[in-house]
Amino acid sequence: MRIAIDTGGTFTDCVYEDRGRLQVLKIPSTPADPGEAVLRAVEQIAGEQAAEVRHGTTVGTNALLERKGARVAFVTTAGFEDTIAIGRQARPRLYDLFFTKEPPLASEELRFGVKERTACDGSIVEEAAEGDLAQLKRRVAAAGPEAIAVSLLFSFANPANERAVVDALRDLGVPVSASHEILPEFREYERGSTVLINAYLAPKMQRYLERLNRACEAQRSTLHVMQSSGGIVPAAVAAREPVRTILSGPAGGVVGAIAVAKAAGFERILTFDMGGTSTDVALVNSAAGLRTTKESQILGMPVAVPMLDIHTVGAGGGSLASFDRGGALKVGPESAGADPGPICYGQGEHPTVTDANLLLGRLEAEWFLGGGMKLDESRTHERFAEAKGTLASVEAFAEGIVRLADSHIEKALRRISVEQGYDPRDFVLVSFGGAGPVHACALARALRIPVVMVPRSPGALSAYGILVSDVVRDFSRTVMLRPDNPALAEHLTRLEAAGTRAMEAEGLRSVAQRSVDLRYAGQGFELPVEWSADFVEQFHRLHEQRYGYADRERPVEVVNVRVRMVARTRFLPNELSQPGDGNPSRAFLRTKPIFCDGQWQNGAVYDRSRLQTGDRFSGPAVVVEYSATTFVPPEGQVSVDRHGNLIIEVGA
Amino acid sequence: MREGHDPIELAVFKSALHSVAEEMGAALRRTAFSPNIKERRDYSSAVFDGSGQVIAMGDDMPVHLGSMPMSVQAILGKLQLERGDVAILNDPYDGGTHLPDITLAMPVFVGENSTASFYAANRAHHADVGGMYPGSMGLCREIWQEGIRIPPVKLVAGGSVNRAVLDLILNNVRTPREREGDLTAQIGACRIGVQRVTELVEKYGLERVTKNVTALLDHSEELMRVELERLPEGQFEAEDFLDNDGITDDRVGIRVRVTTSPKLRQATVDFSASDEQISGSLNAVLAITYSAVFYVLRCLLPEEAAPTAGLMRPVKVITRPETVVDARPPAAVAGGNVETSQRIVDVLLRAFAQVLPDRIPAASSGTMSNLTVGGIDPRTGQPYAYYETIAGGSGGRANGPGVSGVHTHMTNSLNTPVEALEYAYPFRVRQYVYRKHSGGAGKYPGGDGLVREIELLAPAQVTILSDRRIFPPYGLQGGAEGAKGRNTITENGRLRELPGKCNIHAGAGAVVRIETPGGGGWGRV
Repeated sequence: MRIAIDTGGTFTDCVYEDRGRLQVLKIPSTPADPGEAVLRAVEQIAGEQAAEVRHGTTVGTNALLERKGARVAFVTTAGFEDTIAIGRQARPRLYDLFFTKEPPLASEELRFGVKERTACDGSIVEEAAEGDLAQLKRRVAAAGPEAIAVSLLFSFANPANERAVVDALRDLGVPVSASHEILPEFREYERGSTVLINAYLAPKMQRYLERLNRACEAQRSTLHVMQSSGGIVPAAVAAREPVRTILSGPAGGVVGAIAVAKAAGFERILTFDMGGTSTDVALVNSAAGLRTTKESQILGMPVAVPMLDIHTVGAGGGSLASFDRGGALKVGPESAGADPGPICYGQGEHPTVTDANLLLGRLEAEWFLGGGMKLDESRTHERFAEAKGTLASVEAFAEGIVRLADSHIEKALRRISVEQGYDPRDFVLVSFGGAGPVHACALARALRIPVVMVPRSPGALSAYGILVSDVVRDFSRTVMLRPDNPALAEHLTRLEAAGTRAMEAEGLRSVAQRSVDLRYAGQGFELPVEWSADFVEQFHRLHEQRYGYADRERPVEVVNVRVRMVARTRFLPNELSQPGDGNPSRAFLRTKPIFCDGQWQNGAVYDRSRLQTGDRFSGPAVVVEYSATTFVPPEGQVSVDRHGNLIIEVGA
Repeated sequence: MREGHDPIELAVFKSALHSVAEEMGAALRRTAFSPNIKERRDYSSAVFDGSGQVIAMGDDMPVHLGSMPMSVQAILGKLQLERGDVAILNDPYDGGTHLPDITLAMPVFVGENSTASFYAANRAHHADVGGMYPGSMGLCREIWQEGIRIPPVKLVAGGSVNRAVLDLILNNVRTPREREGDLTAQIGACRIGVQRVTELVEKYGLERVTKNVTALLDHSEELMRVELERLPEGQFEAEDFLDNDGITDDRVGIRVRVTTSPKLRQATVDFSASDEQISGSLNAVLAITYSAVFYVLRCLLPEEAAPTAGLMRPVKVITRPETVVDARPPAAVAGGNVETSQRIVDVLLRAFAQVLPDRIPAASSGTMSNLTVGGIDPRTGQPYAYYETIAGGSGGRANGPGVSGVHTHMTNSLNTPVEALEYAYPFRVRQYVYRKHSGGAGKYPGGDGLVREIELLAPAQVTILSDRRIFPPYGLQGGAEGAKGRNTITENGRLRELPGKCNIHAGAGAVVRIETPGGGGWGRV
């Protein structure tokens, strides 16, 4: 039995396979100790049975965002102790005289230098003296760290000096994260930041995962954890390299979207996941596999391990609307959050996007969370009437809020598509998250995307993604070689051997995917291409597609070699939906006024759980279900596909 | 909010137009050739209305903010642009700022209209535009030594590149292939801007777009006027100095008098008392001075204020020609952009601090500490040129201490990673740390500057263009000054002080050390 469990802020979502069928279970999260809900779910689903448990966790993300990780000592080459704090010397906001920078995870008294040096070609310029190492150990011990991060200059070119430092610190009895193991790639700030975050999260994640793992082992179950790259790893690996799991949940959503879209016959998709405070978007061509980036940032700190390329914008259902001093409307990035929440939840005082949707008839007051929560429409109307300023009506105010929220998200979708050289018209918009399907059709029309897909159980898509993802481990190293250098192939072979050993140790049979990062000599950035006989030509072509030109005369250099080890997971199709007669009237709940295009129009409300394959209807309509609401504008044509997905032609 | 403006339409158009500027910027970054544009992101994009007023700008380089409109004005004054034309210029005395910054602009024609309704424009800093020194940023005495001067001309006419103009430019620069690539990228970015504006007009109709552009300009103006209305009435003066011009030892004074009229909701910023233009290359043309004023006022507004021409409507900027803040030919101007612009900001903030004590930070480092090293790399036998600006401390302010080691005010370019540097150049970086205790003391101390120490593994030519080596960054409200910057070189075991602006030859094994200024402190301890 295979179980995926995804911890969310309010609910812990589970998707599992039971005798060939997929089941969904939602249980309340236990924020004080998220493991409690996870173990309860395992018990409820598997009972005494052994299970393959897969977990999407926010323990690392939250520890980082709330800065509640370990006290970490950061050790580097003497003379470079502040690299981790200086960063790239730029400020986050241009026109703010009061800008601040997120303080580094290791404060000044926890940053240590060792007198040693390796050159860029890997030659050792100076070894660390025995006496210096002994002294370093005393100084670090005196600072009382709970974890240690070590990242020396050019340790990826030759780890000898770094190993000596790690050995000297090993018996202090706290976890040590070494840069040549976590991320043997060049750029000292990005590497140092990644290793420091790893050490910062290590003690907490180790405690958390060890406890879950023990409980699982007691039942002969196994535990795997979702990584930000879209692949899963055994719990022991995640405990050692927690930096790879910080976007566990959102990665599950993208993998889930790819899986359901592929089953529905769509390969090129834009994912649109809108929650309470923010929205995640990503562009995927599932034929080409998962697209990862090593340029992600969290709290302004670089995380250079491969992560799915997910772009986040501060607009969600809870985003607050107000007027600025010049009289223009603005929406977000401030959010009403869960407390006090939108006006319609009963506590909030200020208009939010969710409130606006309710007043426009695009949400159902009685059906929110399956009727578990009644939305207060009259309270919302009153507050909107007070806050609408010079606007003619409450409806105009509400419609304006929604339009503006949409324009922020449209910008984010443009950034990942148009700005990267992709035409949105070639994509399908896959919408999930609690607030996504209300906005999806308007966004699709604005970007001329012809089709929107709302998967079944859009609230549990992330858990489904975790259930179907492959076991993936990434290995890399900076080599800085010309492409014709025979050492290149040797480096790849060595990496692959190490990868194969690591996978075999977990009892996994895997395939290796080799790739190299290339650039024109002298450039400051590189592009990944698959390792093949004509990889240099592939690079020219990719460069041309991405940047508009190629220069075949110019020398090329290989910056990094990469090996991705993949152990495939048996694919579980999202369950087929029951075929119906094409007539959605069995799911029809009532008629109600919906505000579209500046006027009230009569629309239908449908119960998603009673829709069947082949059903067709047109907008204006609202489709309600437990975890989300879909709004279909007047131009929209809905059909239910064989997996129960809503496929909406938006008339773009 | 003026009558008849719809607050929602306004917000949606603001977002849409900003998105056009950002898309132009992304296209330029994606397609440009040179690291300075791709990596350090030294470029800007903007959209203008038919009369040349800026209506949207990307979040790019502040120093370009107020000066781009002058380029478009210069083009409108000189050229009759037709469909498919693209104009080019870099002449600081005809719409530009300094020669490396090259600006391109393209008109948007709607339907059969014979006059352009909008313009899309962008500006990028080119790594070389000829002149006496590689990089075109050295210590010159006249503009002719600084590189090629391009007045407003058509680089593209009716959709085809004017090869004669392009060849004339390329014949005058050291790296013609790279320049051609970057200019092509700028043309492409203009076309994307034009296309996106055209789409907006197709979607909403010209009348509706024009109406909202007017509303957007009025809205920016209103935000500024609301701010000016809150200022106390009066005249506030301030002065500060550049150390020298790199040729003589004389200090260079910049003086401002700000007159506020809250009842009229307007202000005048008068630099007439500033010193005469100088022999070295630190002269600023009016566009730079205007940009600095624009930047400072923009900083007084809330985060979401769109930087349009409307912001400057209630503000009058006065200068006296042939001064260091309004240079006239043949003054050299390369450093006006990078050094003098920072000092103009310092002087303005110092004046505003008298009226808004809690809203103005003490002086930041006030220099970009420009370092250029060139020579032959013994590993390849090929020539190389390294250019970088080194950040300093920001000033303390009412909400807390200044930030250490960060670029402030008119620049925000990135550093080069040490590991990237050593792969690319024959250097060994010996130190890159905060310069401890360089921030001025105060209730809220200034941020510390940086120390960057580079060992040259082969003989090289070293050029330093830095300031605040004699006059330190000021403190405010009783806070102390930040530490002055310091440049040294150690050769054969002997340490030698270097002037703030110099050009020297150094042998293998020499260690160049740049210590950048700390920020001033804020408030009494």
